[in-house]
Amino acid sequence: MSPPKSRLEEGSALQAAASRDATPPRSVHAHAGGHGAADLGPLGGTARRAKGAHSSTQSAFARSLGRPAETAPARDWRDWGYPLLVIAAGLALWQGAVMIGWLRPIQFPPPSKLAASLVELVVDGYPEGIGLGTHFAITMQRILLGYLAAIALAIPLGLVIGWVPLLDDLTDPVIAFGRSVATLSLLPLAVVWFGTGEMAKVFLIGYGCFWVMLSNVVAAVKSVDPVLIRAARTMDVSGAALFRQVALPAALPRIFSGARVALGVGFMVIVGAEMIGTIRGLGALIMEARTFYRTDITMVGMFVIGALGLAIAVGLERLEARLLPWQAREARRGT
Amino acid sequence: MSAPAGSRATARERAPKRTRKVQRMSAPADPRDAQVVDPSAGRRLSRPVLGAIGAFTVIALWEGSARLVWSDAQVLPAPTQAIAAAWQHLTVAELAQHVGWSLWRILAGFALGALAGVALGVASGWYAWLARLVRPIIELLRPIPPLAWIPIAIVWFGLGEPSKIFVIFLGAFFPIFTNAWRGMVSVSPVLLAAARTMDVDGPALLFKVALPAALPDISTGLRVGFGLSFGILVAAELIAAERGMGFLVMHSRQLGQLGVAVFAILLIGFVTLVADSLLAATLRRLVGRRMPS
Repeated sequence: MSPPKSRLEEGSALQAAASRDATPPRSVHAHAGGHGAADLGPLGGTARRAKGAHSSTQSAFARSLGRPAETAPARDWRDWGYPLLVIAAGLALWQGAVMIGWLRPIQFPPPSKLAASLVELVVDGYPEGIGLGTHFAITMQRILLGYLAAIALAIPLGLVIGWVPLLDDLTDPVIAFGRSVATLSLLPLAVVWFGTGEMAKVFLIGYGCFWVMLSNVVAAVKSVDPVLIRAARTMDVSGAALFRQVALPAALPRIFSGARVALGVGFMVIVGAEMIGTIRGLGALIMEARTFYRTDITMVGMFVIGALGLAIAVGLERLEARLLPWQAREARRGT
Repeated sequence: MSAPAGSRATARERAPKRTRKVQRMSAPADPRDAQVVDPSAGRRLSRPVLGAIGAFTVIALWEGSARLVWSDAQVLPAPTQAIAAAWQHLTVAELAQHVGWSLWRILAGFALGALAGVALGVASGWYAWLARLVRPIIELLRPIPPLAWIPIAIVWFGLGEPSKIFVIFLGAFFPIFTNAWRGMVSVSPVLLAAARTMDVDGPALLFKVALPAALPDISTGLRVGFGLSFGILVAAELIAAERGMGFLVMHSRQLGQLGVAVFAILLIGFVTLVADSLLAATLRRLVGRRMPS
């Protein structure tokens, strides 16, 4: 029993290598080395490689949504020295241009003023004494509620749709359309349905995250290497076990990156949603400040939003590296 | 001239052949496996037909629940009620004007963003000193969502067209720049060295070797940037505009014509879908099979 099975595994590994061109023979040997075991260990390896094939496109997409460039480990002081120098020079130029009078302070408040405004925002708060911490907490709360609801709905639904080809065919145009509807255009409807309170904003974030997440989960399940599934079938794994033990682990990396993209979308939606009909939250903060010609507060708010976005992106990347270590390694090697 | 064209053609032919070979090698003996190779094989209805059935079902469910369960067109208008309301309150010329304004803003902002993003991205991917100068500032500003620029855009450019075009420009610029830069940086050094041994250098090396190799990444950036521009456009029109599709949604809600608002929302989705597939088809023609799906 054992020898034919091992040959089969080797065969499937070779096939996978052939279909993915440019796979080094090293990994084929690795598979042959781990043969014979009844568990699906070596197959997991195939899945990783299958994942690698489309990781470049996908990470390009994720990157463009505010994910920072993967930086190589710091080899040289130049890697961080030059950027700091450029930014410092830029700030000095800006400050100088305002002081000479080339830039109007009402349009381009100088960095020194921004620093003072940041302190004011934290200590006194704006508008109506709402501190930066409160704005921050409210925005985070809205994002998390909408995001988690969307994820909780989209993952099970996407897994089923991706696994059953008939359902995929039936829902494909609907999902494509749902994704295309600009989330913020639903804002007026959300106000009719849920009033101007928290619920309308949470709904919008949920809507935006849901479709992105759903299409990513469907794509993740569909893109599981068919060789992997056939190989599992030859080992008499089928039905629920096939799904749980083979398809799901293989789809996991892409599901995770979908979750990351969805959070980026939610972050974008919240800033827009908060600009209308509220004075609490970071989006409201920058819009309110604009209305009262406090450009300095607007700019500080923008940088806080940017920092929050960056922190979320980096945090998720770290989490992904911890939960799916092979995936991070693959991504580093791939690019 | 004929040599590169010939080699490209052979490369294009080779790809499908290889796929076919792999499929034959793994031709299923078990009928259950036919599903794995081609999901629609052995099914009587084709994919588009099934898709149409699915879409129709959703519309029918919406129509039914709106008329029977909620039965209030001021809460959830049925699709037919939305179309009827749009027919009643809007002339075709008005509608065309709103769509036209939105498209004009998109095209202007996206074209500027694409131009600047590709030019700067390619240039800083080619000249290391430029990247050192430009990238820190771009990386600093990139995490700020484009919508967060709306207030400051209004301060800088007023409430008119330039502020909207500026925000759309930003939405397109950042992903396009990043992808173009990354595409240029990740061009295989072997490729460049090989070209150099054939005495290709300077502008020819950039435009005939490096740039084509970076095209797939650039087109990924263009598509992502285009998708972002649409979302931003609607938000900008909701917040400050007196024309355009986003304005139409907001305005008809304020007038209490919820049916028109729903119609406009669906219209935005439809226009986005059509524009995106047009862009994808164009890029696929230009970039060919190197285009990532």
